[in-house]
This record gives sequence, C-alpha cells and structure tokens, in this order.
Amino acid sequence: MVNNSGQLYTIEGVAAGILIVVTAYLVVSTTTVLTPQDVHIIDMQLEQLGSDALAMMDTPNQYGSVDARNYSNLTTFIMFNNQTEFGDQFLFYVNNTPNIAGTGYDRLNYSASIFYENTTNQINTTQFGGGTYYRENAVTVTRWVYLPPFNKPVTYPDDMISNENQTVLLEVLLWRE
Amino acid sequence: MAGMNDDGQWIVMLGFIISIILVFLALIVNQSALIGKTTAESVLDFPKSEIQDARAEIIEYYWNGTVNQPNLNYDLLNISLEKKGTVIWYQYNPTDDSIFIHYNDGSTEYNEIVRGP
Repeated sequence: MVNNSGQLYTIEGVAAGILIVVTAYLVVSTTTVLTPQDVHIIDMQLEQLGSDALAMMDTPNQYGSVDARNYSNLTTFIMFNNQTEFGDQFLFYVNNTPNIAGTGYDRLNYSASIFYENTTNQINTTQFGGGTYYRENAVTVTRWVYLPPFNKPVTYPDDMISNENQTVLLEVLLWRE
Repeated sequence: MAGMNDDGQWIVMLGFIISIILVFLALIVNQSALIGKTTAESVLDFPKSEIQDARAEIIEYYWNGTVNQPNLNYDLLNISLEKKGTVIWYQYNPTDDSIFIHYNDGSTEYNEIVRGP
C-alpha cells in the first residue's frame, strides 16, 4: 500500500501548500478591512486633536496677574466676542497638517457655542461663530473657560453675567468636510 | 466511482490541512477588526480630556486667586450637570493649602487632593 514512489510529487505538494499559506498571509496582513464601526478610530483622533487645540488656546502665558495679556487667548476671545480671531487661530491649529495633497492643509471645519449660567441661574447658550454644519460626521469637544469681570459686548445676550468671575463652557462641533 | 484509485492521497490531505489553516487565519482577521473597534470605543468613553480640562480650570482658579468664590463652584457644577450629566466639585482647604477635586460621570469617578498646586 505505502511505497516510496512519487516522492517528488509529495515534496511539490508540501511546497505548494507552504506557498499558498504564505501568500494568503501576506495578502491578508497588508490589507485593512475598514468596517463601518471603525470610524470610531477616526472620531477618537479628531476629538483628541480638537481638545488639544483648545487646551493650547486656553493656556495663559502666566498666572496670578490681573493684567489682560495674561489671560489665555480663549478668555480674551470670549471677553471681546472676537469670533473671527478665534476661528482663525482654532482652524490654524487643527488644520496645520503638512503635506496633504492639493491644498497643503487639512479641511476641518467647526461650529462653536458658549454655554453660560445666566442671571437667573439657568443655563443658556449663544453662538460663537464657525461654519455651516450639513450633518457631516462630527465630534464635540468642550473646554471650560474662565472669565473675569468684563465689559460685555452688545452682541452678547442680555442675561449673560459680566460683573463677576465666572466659568463658561465652550463647545466646539468639529468635522472634516 | 469505478475509475477511483488511491494515488495522490498526500496531495488531497494537504488540501484539507491548508483549508483548515485558512479557516483559522480568517478567524484571526475577524478578531482584529473587533479589537480596533473596542479599543477606540473605550478610549472615546473614558473622559480623559474632561478630567484634564476640569482640573486645569480649577487650578487656574487657584493661580487667579478666585478659588474661594462659591459662584465658580456652581458654574462648573450646574453647566456640567446640564450639558454632560457629570458632577464636578472642588473645595479649597486654606489650612493646608490644598484643593479637593471630584469628578463623576456615572461610570468613571475621579478624586484628587492637590496640595499647594
């Protein structure tokens, strides 16, 4: 029944088997299957990027002084309702990705709003600039911003407190267009 | 069936072995997609940035000299309860110059005592 004829065929079979397995392994390991659930990974990176940018903007040069230039950029932007400069700086930080084909920068956009506790201790909100949101896949990043007593710009709602220290929540909706 | 013989049995058997190996490889690929999803999800769920943010804000109060003002406590607490369902509370203790910080979003709880930050 068992003899030693056809040994070359046997070796060829073994070699072909190894070849097939190695090929299958190479093909499978070089491909990433991006299932719909994997957008979580992209969301995670976007969220980290956004909160890092806000953290950079909310870091003052030094603490413990009433001198206006020692408030963080975010604090001064909100104090003066300076939506344009906030947008410029925020988009500069988040889009500052080198070597992207075409434009040379990323194409992230945002929409920001401020949540504050008003004169009757209710939580109210006001828009703080940004692009138009067309239901893209977006993440939300937030940052607590300290506000000293300030001269309230007329563009802010009437029920916003401006004569004492307060903390407002800056909420930024961030998406890739 | 009359023409069947028992030649080439090794080749047939190798075919079986390879197909079984391929099934296991497919299983591994299947698992790796799940691992990426669960890792990203747990990173998204864990409120790392929220805790760092609240902590940075409270320590900023300390440096501003406003850490004793109760309205700041309630700004943090009320806005976070309304917007995120999260309790953020802190208390400054002047006797040993320390701040107690509490954060709880229902699944993650964080307590810290910062001494002379």
